[in-house]
Amino acid sequence: MRGIRMAVAACMLWAGAALADPPKGYDFVGFDAGLAAAKSSGKPIFMYFGRYGCAWCDHTNKKTFSDAALKKLYSENYVLVYVDAESGRRLTLPSGERLTEAELGARLQAFATPLFVYMTPQGEKIMQVPGFKTVQDFRDYDRYVRGGHYKQKTLLEFLGGKS
Amino acid sequence: MRIAALLFAALAGSAHAAWEWGAPLTVNTVQGAAIFPHLESANRQGVAVSGDTIGVVWEDNRDGSPQCYLALKPSQAAAFQPETRLSRGECYEPVLLALGAGRFVAAWEEAGKVRAQTVPGGTPLTLSQAGAAQVTLAAGGGKVFAAWAELAGRFHRIVVARLEAAGEGLAVRTTQGVEAGQPADEQGWPALAVTGDGSVTVAWEDRRARHTVPMASHSRDGGRSFAPPVRLTDIKSGSAPGGLGAGTGAMRPTLAPWGRQGAAAVWLDKRDFLSGYDVYAAFDSGTRRFGKNLRVQDSFGDNMAQWHASIIGAADGRLVALWDDARDGTPDVWLADWDGEAFGDNAAVPAAAGPGAQSDPVAAFDAAGNLHVVWLDRDEAAGTRVRYARAVRR
Repeated sequence: MRGIRMAVAACMLWAGAALADPPKGYDFVGFDAGLAAAKSSGKPIFMYFGRYGCAWCDHTNKKTFSDAALKKLYSENYVLVYVDAESGRRLTLPSGERLTEAELGARLQAFATPLFVYMTPQGEKIMQVPGFKTVQDFRDYDRYVRGGHYKQKTLLEFLGGKS
Repeated sequence: MRIAALLFAALAGSAHAAWEWGAPLTVNTVQGAAIFPHLESANRQGVAVSGDTIGVVWEDNRDGSPQCYLALKPSQAAAFQPETRLSRGECYEPVLLALGAGRFVAAWEEAGKVRAQTVPGGTPLTLSQAGAAQVTLAAGGGKVFAAWAELAGRFHRIVVARLEAAGEGLAVRTTQGVEAGQPADEQGWPALAVTGDGSVTVAWEDRRARHTVPMASHSRDGGRSFAPPVRLTDIKSGSAPGGLGAGTGAMRPTLAPWGRQGAAAVWLDKRDFLSGYDVYAAFDSGTRRFGKNLRVQDSFGDNMAQWHASIIGAADGRLVALWDDARDGTPDVWLADWDGEAFGDNAAVPAAAGPGAQSDPVAAFDAAGNLHVVWLDRDEAAGTRVRYARAVRR
């Protein structure tokens, strides 16, 4: 019992640190909870890799994620995961490795925020796209991911050369 | 064209010429595809040299949960001794401090608190009161200090303690928050340095400005009180046009005592937001004020992200910054020497460069000025090795 209490205490350690800057009104969850939800629901993961105080994240939230139809599309069809690029909060990769959210950025070689990562329900990366994106961009990415086109084509091929 | 190539080769040669490296060693005796060693810690303090003994600490999950391990090597020995486990419960981010004559203090996070222990021997001592993490250690003038992030209300704040190490015993003498009261936002990842005049400098990540800013404070009375915090970064917080965001990112400050009374700081800084984090540095020459920020990596590392930056220094003015980046295609460990006016050309650590992923450097000087570097050599199939190499200055 004492061991369980200690483990719970360790897990709760950074729970006080709220998600930094995800778009308002979306049900973003942490990485571990999202991976578990994706495995049980079979939905792909949409991971928003943001940074506390990031101007381009703010811009994307206001210009793009404020779109009601986009919110519906992504909320219904994806498990939404938010990761803070500078956080010491821990997560567990599908491989079983535990590392910090900031360290995940190093593994992804993230050079800019926001960074959007699409993953299978098992947590395997499908693609990552950095920077500001429009509503139409996210609609295109959704068709590419949920349509399974990523299995045969690169994103550029799927979009017909449009980046 | 040929002249340019020759010039480039000559410049590259001079960068590598500063250090002569010994054969690398593998530190961890247990490896495997599902075992994940980590060298992450506050102030990146995974290696220390105490007298003639080199100590390395890291965390891995070989026992089914994250645990912290220590390996020692007499300097003349051909290999590290098999590692010993420091922790009983889930353990993260261990650090190691040299006490001299082969003695060390290790500290780590375990079960949501921070603990410390003298090694070899000693028994673990819990340092923190509330939930705490990201402990670091420093010593100078015969005194030992620890700093960590401890829960105070909704957020963590930075706490500094003076420890007393006598033989195998370890005791807490004073514990002091750097600031009174509860923090307005998250604080974490402290770094400590005891400068030549006995002042204690502490730096940490701070989110009070609604983005992450490395900040610093100092104590001139042995850690009983601290000066009001100031920013390490010389750029101001502020929104982008349109009221967007709160400022650029910066994280994981590290500190080292430097010269007779000074301190040097290095951190990851995203002021150039299109090329990932860069390595930036600032110096306090002894005035207890950090000055203008300098970019550490050279132009060949400009257009990519740097990670896991740290700084080590010595009383005679030696100063080396280390980090990893993938400028040559895959992550390699790089270093830059301070030449008195600027950081020099970047040099790859030879055994930590080339195919594969070599990252997460930690480093220490020994008393003779030799450089000891430890890093991770990641191989998804064979497992990750904790690697070590020693260098002497040419």
